[in-house]
Amino acid sequence: MMDDMTAIFREEVRDLLESLERGLLDLKSRPDDMGLVNQVFRDLHTVKGSGAMFGFTELSAFIHEFETVFDKVRSGHLAVGPDLLRLALAAKDEIPGLVEGEADPEGRRVAILSGLHGLLGGAPVAEAVAEMAPAEAGPTGDGALRLTFRLTGAALALGARPDLVLDELRGLGAVEIAADLADVPPLDRLDVEACAFGWKMVLPASVTAAQVEEVFLFVDADWSLDAVAAETVETVVDVVAVPVPEAAPAAKAASPKAPVERPVAKVEAKVEPKAETKTEAKTEAKSEAGATIRVPAERLDALMDSVGELVIAEARLAQLARDLRDPALIATAEQITRLAGGLRDATMTMRMVPMRSLVGRFRRLVLDLSDKLGKPVEFRVTGEDTELDKTVIEKLADPLVHVLRNALDHGMEMPEARVAAGKSREGLVELVAEHAGAEVLIKVRDDGKGMDPAKLREKAIAKGLILPETQMTEAQIFALIFEPGFSTAEAVTDLSGRGVGMDVVRRTIDALRGTIQIESALGRGTTVTLRLPLTLAIIEGLQIEVAGEQYILPMPNVQEIVELPPEKAEPSRTEDFLDVRGGFVPFLRLRQLFDCAGTPGAGQNVVIVRAGEARVGIVVDRIIGTNQTVIKQMSKLHAGVRALSGATLLGNGSIALILDVGHLVGMSRQQGDAAQAVRQEVLA
Amino acid sequence: MTIHHLKEDRSLTVVTLSLGKQVLAIPAVRLREILDPMPVTRVPGAGPLVPAVLNVRGTVVPLANLKQVLRIPETEADDRRRILVLDVTIAGEAAVVAVEADAVHEVATIETAIIEPVPAAASAWPPEYLTGLYRGGEGFVLMPDLDHILSVLAQRPMA
Amino acid sequence: MPKTVLTVDDSPSIRRMIAMTLQEAGYDVVEAVDGQDGLTKALAQPIDAIITDQNMPNLDGLGFIRALRQHPQGKGVPIVVLSTDSEEGLKQQARDAGALGWMVKPFTQDKLLAVIKKVVG
Repeated sequence: MMDDMTAIFREEVRDLLESLERGLLDLKSRPDDMGLVNQVFRDLHTVKGSGAMFGFTELSAFIHEFETVFDKVRSGHLAVGPDLLRLALAAKDEIPGLVEGEADPEGRRVAILSGLHGLLGGAPVAEAVAEMAPAEAGPTGDGALRLTFRLTGAALALGARPDLVLDELRGLGAVEIAADLADVPPLDRLDVEACAFGWKMVLPASVTAAQVEEVFLFVDADWSLDAVAAETVETVVDVVAVPVPEAAPAAKAASPKAPVERPVAKVEAKVEPKAETKTEAKTEAKSEAGATIRVPAERLDALMDSVGELVIAEARLAQLARDLRDPALIATAEQITRLAGGLRDATMTMRMVPMRSLVGRFRRLVLDLSDKLGKPVEFRVTGEDTELDKTVIEKLADPLVHVLRNALDHGMEMPEARVAAGKSREGLVELVAEHAGAEVLIKVRDDGKGMDPAKLREKAIAKGLILPETQMTEAQIFALIFEPGFSTAEAVTDLSGRGVGMDVVRRTIDALRGTIQIESALGRGTTVTLRLPLTLAIIEGLQIEVAGEQYILPMPNVQEIVELPPEKAEPSRTEDFLDVRGGFVPFLRLRQLFDCAGTPGAGQNVVIVRAGEARVGIVVDRIIGTNQTVIKQMSKLHAGVRALSGATLLGNGSIALILDVGHLVGMSRQQGDAAQAVRQEVLA
Repeated sequence: MTIHHLKEDRSLTVVTLSLGKQVLAIPAVRLREILDPMPVTRVPGAGPLVPAVLNVRGTVVPLANLKQVLRIPETEADDRRRILVLDVTIAGEAAVVAVEADAVHEVATIETAIIEPVPAAASAWPPEYLTGLYRGGEGFVLMPDLDHILSVLAQRPMA
Repeated sequence: MPKTVLTVDDSPSIRRMIAMTLQEAGYDVVEAVDGQDGLTKALAQPIDAIITDQNMPNLDGLGFIRALRQHPQGKGVPIVVLSTDSEEGLKQQARDAGALGWMVKPFTQDKLLAVIKKVVG
């Protein structure tokens, strides 16, 4: 191929020499014609450039001087005169010989060159051919190098290809390539022709600054090459120690011909204390990134929905695999079960919020109340880091406010009374949150006067809340304070009102599928314990069927399942009680409750559910089984249906409604009271 | 949504549907999708106005009975029956609700100038639930005020 | 689909050398004899990269680049300027005109291929 090229080149030189000669001759008569000057210059330039390309180095070197003269003419530093033209024509005549590789025994070429040199006024002659490749800089050291770069200006508009740059850098051994998105502007301010991001990577130590310079030859970019220190080295002291000896040779090795000032300067700059500050900054950034990511709650909900559906589909897959008895399918299904379980747990964990987010406002509340009531109180909080599902936390605020108010308002004595009772003047109110299995316990404890069960009972009877002969445990008696309209305060205060609010506490906790328990010792104080499920998003559910409709009972509420005795199959006003292990449990017939058509078949079951201290049996047609139930909130259009706490999707895509056990228990109590009243009528 | 809001634009794209013999128009922007009849889940105690829920792509969506609300007599359903899934605002919050239609006709662009207020008196329909009406090819086309209807429904007493 | 490279040079030997080298490496090559011709050819077809000489009759390299960058088709095409001059001045002028980079003559075929690979892949 080169032979072909040489032939073409010779042809080209012949044409150029004709043009050159014509130009020089014309310049004799028109020495000021810049067009002619430019033409001559260009012809010389082309011969020089092409000659160098095809190995005619002697020719190129010779013409270089010649060209330099005409460049001076072109730039107006030298006038076209007879001497110049004579030398130029003589030089032109030498060109064919140079192309043919003829020798110059008479030294004509040297004479011409020195004559041209004289015209230039003895200015130093530049080197014939500029060096192409930048000189190699020495290796930067044994440690890895950190390269960061960012395209500048209109690099992209000029056709720069960062992907190719990255490929080249990968070729140099770049690893840990990462984009720096920090400067990416919002979409409305995005300049499509600008490159908003930078890149960083780690290069092997053997890579030289010159090699990197070479990569960026065609790219407008700010780049810097530093010895890697911060990430790989444990302590600040080591960081400072490492790069110093390696960095110095790089600076020395930089060739003056192809200066690599930018990177070298950086290497030097980084050597001493800067490494230290860099490390600190990095560590800080890292710990910050590790701490929190703020995610809009809806996104978590959406994720939870998807996970929920995955759990449903997974259950279906597992069932199919079992039915088909294909070992490979079963193994895969089991794997998916594990993965789905892990994903579900991880997602639920993401929804967990520490109690701390609530505690701030409680401190304020206690402080204000204590001032207002004239009861000095110390408020102690433990377990602020205890986490609960965000929905639980949100709904927990109001009930806890009521419980705390109650503790200060009704539980706590006036300071004089405390002193008289031999207690410290200052009362103690404690908020304790702790995990207990799949539940979280939240306790509000006061060291106040405690509650007197006998007094409470009297009051409840007086208010018509219970019948005088009702047998109640102490805990049941204490639970009376959550009944609507019950208050133990001697004087009504504007703070807790007339017991309004405590019934709201129980309703809310019921809705959260939690329970409330009260312990109280007269003269020593009261402890209210809220027991809450860790999450509301997914529960273990018992799927039941009533008149062809599917419902879910939360498993944590389910105590046991018994058969409905045939003699109880028919609804009765007075006999809807079951003898379960020595205790009478009232039961509700869902068919009746939900206005279902038709009559139940034989073999109805009773699911005994518990809410707080109370138990109730729920009569259903059929038990389907347990499953993971993803709770979906009912819309506002159904928010008023109190017997339901949500809905869930079943594996076949149909919807099952989730029963609100707390509410059902409440209903049965009312029915039970009515039934009791009826029985008494009968007995009377 | 008042009739004045509707008239802020010169034209309005609506989807027209039948409830019984009555034709209604709903702004097309409200329409998410039209579904073939599908199984729904009865919500006991919810009453006849929003009697059920259905599964729309993994979301539990309430099904409202506009016929009951607008006092339109029931007719026998045929195979033209569809379920419309709509974007609505219930008491200030965005929500999705489904309504049954006996038939869905077309998506049409109407001039808002032809929309008239509902005469308060002598109206077979509850005027408080309608934004306006206009004369279509086969009699009056009612424009229900969905947000208002549903916000009222959300307040209804339930079991 | 092969990439198309436009070579703009008044020197037929340089043009041929570039064309042959690139064609052997699988590129399509379009040749133009000066800036004016280059502009016409660059606008007539999709071009992936341009290698242009600076000193040319009618329209020189810088003029060609400036003119080409005015056209929508001419934006974003990588342009490499060939020059026997390696001084900063021309490089800067070329950059300002809209060149991506430059290549100093003389160059070897390997160097040419390396440069083209660098700019168009």
